[in-house]
Amino acid sequence: MYTYYIIKNSERGINLRIEAHPILDFKRGNPVSFTFDGVRVEACDNMTIAVALHAAGFKGISESMLKKRPRGLFCAIGNCSSCMMVVDGVPNVRTCLELCKDGMVVETQRGKGALI
Amino acid sequence: MNKTADICVIGGGISGVAIGYFLLKNGAKNVLLLERGHLAYGATGRCGAGIRQQWGTELNCVISKYSLDFFETAQDELQYNGDIEFHQTGYMLLISNERELEQMKKNVALQNSLGIDSQLLTCEDARQIVPILNTDNLLGTAFCQKDGHLNPFHMTQAFADAFKRLGGEIMTYTDVTGITAANGRVTGITTNKGFIAAETVVNAAVGWAQEIAGIAGLDLPLFSERHNIMVTEPVEPILGPMIMSFSLNLYCQQTPHGSFLMGRTDDAQPRDLRMTSYSGFPELIAQSVVNVMPALKNLRVLRQWAGLYNVSPDNAAIYSAASDPKGFYTAAGFSGHGFMTSPATGQSMAEMILGLPPTLPWQRMDVSRFDSGELLLEPSVV
Ligand SMILES: Cc1cc2nc3c(=O)[nH]c(=O)nc-3n(C[C@H](O)[C@H](O)[C@H](O)COP(=O)(O)OP(=O)(O)OC[C@H]3O[C@@H](n4cnc5c(N)ncnc54)[C@H](O)[C@@H]3O)c2cc1C
Repeated sequence: MYTYYIIKNSERGINLRIEAHPILDFKRGNPVSFTFDGVRVEACDNMTIAVALHAAGFKGISESMLKKRPRGLFCAIGNCSSCMMVVDGVPNVRTCLELCKDGMVVETQRGKGALI
Repeated sequence: MNKTADICVIGGGISGVAIGYFLLKNGAKNVLLLERGHLAYGATGRCGAGIRQQWGTELNCVISKYSLDFFETAQDELQYNGDIEFHQTGYMLLISNERELEQMKKNVALQNSLGIDSQLLTCEDARQIVPILNTDNLLGTAFCQKDGHLNPFHMTQAFADAFKRLGGEIMTYTDVTGITAANGRVTGITTNKGFIAAETVVNAAVGWAQEIAGIAGLDLPLFSERHNIMVTEPVEPILGPMIMSFSLNLYCQQTPHGSFLMGRTDDAQPRDLRMTSYSGFPELIAQSVVNVMPALKNLRVLRQWAGLYNVSPDNAAIYSAASDPKGFYTAAGFSGHGFMTSPATGQSMAEMILGLPPTLPWQRMDVSRFDSGELLLEPSVV
């Protein structure tokens, strides 16, 4: 047997956002808000969806195919499939690459996503 | 290492493991199988996994039906622990011109007469089965529900496990480098791991069959051509049958995992045993397949690979016993459909080697047909 840790979305609360950095200048863009599984999330339009969710404390953003275990942000460069979600009805969106837009509807993807 | 075997099979693809299994099943003893890489390293592990009975010659219909009947019971007969994933979701052959329609009518009549339950479908009926099919430029399709696809890795392992259970031995990473003969009879083979004495050697190296035949001093009318496959990300099941078109030059299936696997023929591909991927392929195959199933256009591509079609002059397999040296047998030239006929290959080669009466008319598949002119020209291949 193996042990693994699940940070339940309900236990979130720590703000992971680095607000100011000694040498980096963050260009976060304009404030927007969207919903994640019905919950309102505040973000900016220069952030990717996955980053906005991570910063807001949502660690489980998808689930593994066979055992349905929670998956979170992993490679953050569009390679690994760990952050694929349904965005405005479209499945398999790599949310680590997709920027936040005001009013978008982001949902956890169950299964592999339907083609049509 | 020095070893002795009654029969040595060269090649751990589907043909090799099937021949090994059917040899033991039909009473042979002390059979040794040699593979240069890992099992299914060659065409078998790189193929489109399609299983069909919809052929245009009586012989191909008969051997593919025999093989499909075997696959239906293979899970039990071979007592395989895994799942061979034989999904009989059908094969749909697209008809896009009058000539193809005439050919398909003939094929279906022939198939029906041999007990193969294929039929012609209107475009409307075809869309009932494959809603994402674009039938705009089609005249209809041929369809057989019993056809489908089968997992090549599991099928190879299933034969290999059963072969070992019956007492067979498999040596992987063993490269055959020479065949020895004396007084017109095979005496053994040399490998990178030493000499193996054997009076019977079966060449099932297929893509590399000419090389092996060459070192035994034989010249077979075969060439190996690179064929490419591309695979997409997985989505929920939406495509049941294997879609295939001869005139549009494509085949495409959705695997049990949900990915779409697609391929086509390209005469400009190298014939020098290269198995590296061809960079121009993704664009070509994506265009062909998206024309037929536009819904696939937004799917992301995962990867591509290539393997060898071992092609004979009439696109049909060669099952042959050499007259010199005696004891040297070859099964090759499957021309892109040797996976689906592997049970026929196994049973036929076993009968030929053990001197048993033929279940299938394998005498007609001897290499001598290219001299006598009794070719087995198959009209329906991709
Ligand atoms: C892209 C593609 C798509 C295909 N699609 C289909 C399909 O949909 N349906 C179908 O039925 N068929 C299909 N085929 C054809 C099918 O894959 C082959 O006919 C079949 O797998 C041949 O199996 P085999 O065991 O005869 O040959 P292989 O699988 O090539 O096995 C030969 C083995 O011999 C080994 N070998 C070679 N030289 C030596 C040596 N000197 N010493 C030891 N071992 C050696 C190789 O490593 C190899 O593993 C396809 C082929 C390709 C390339």
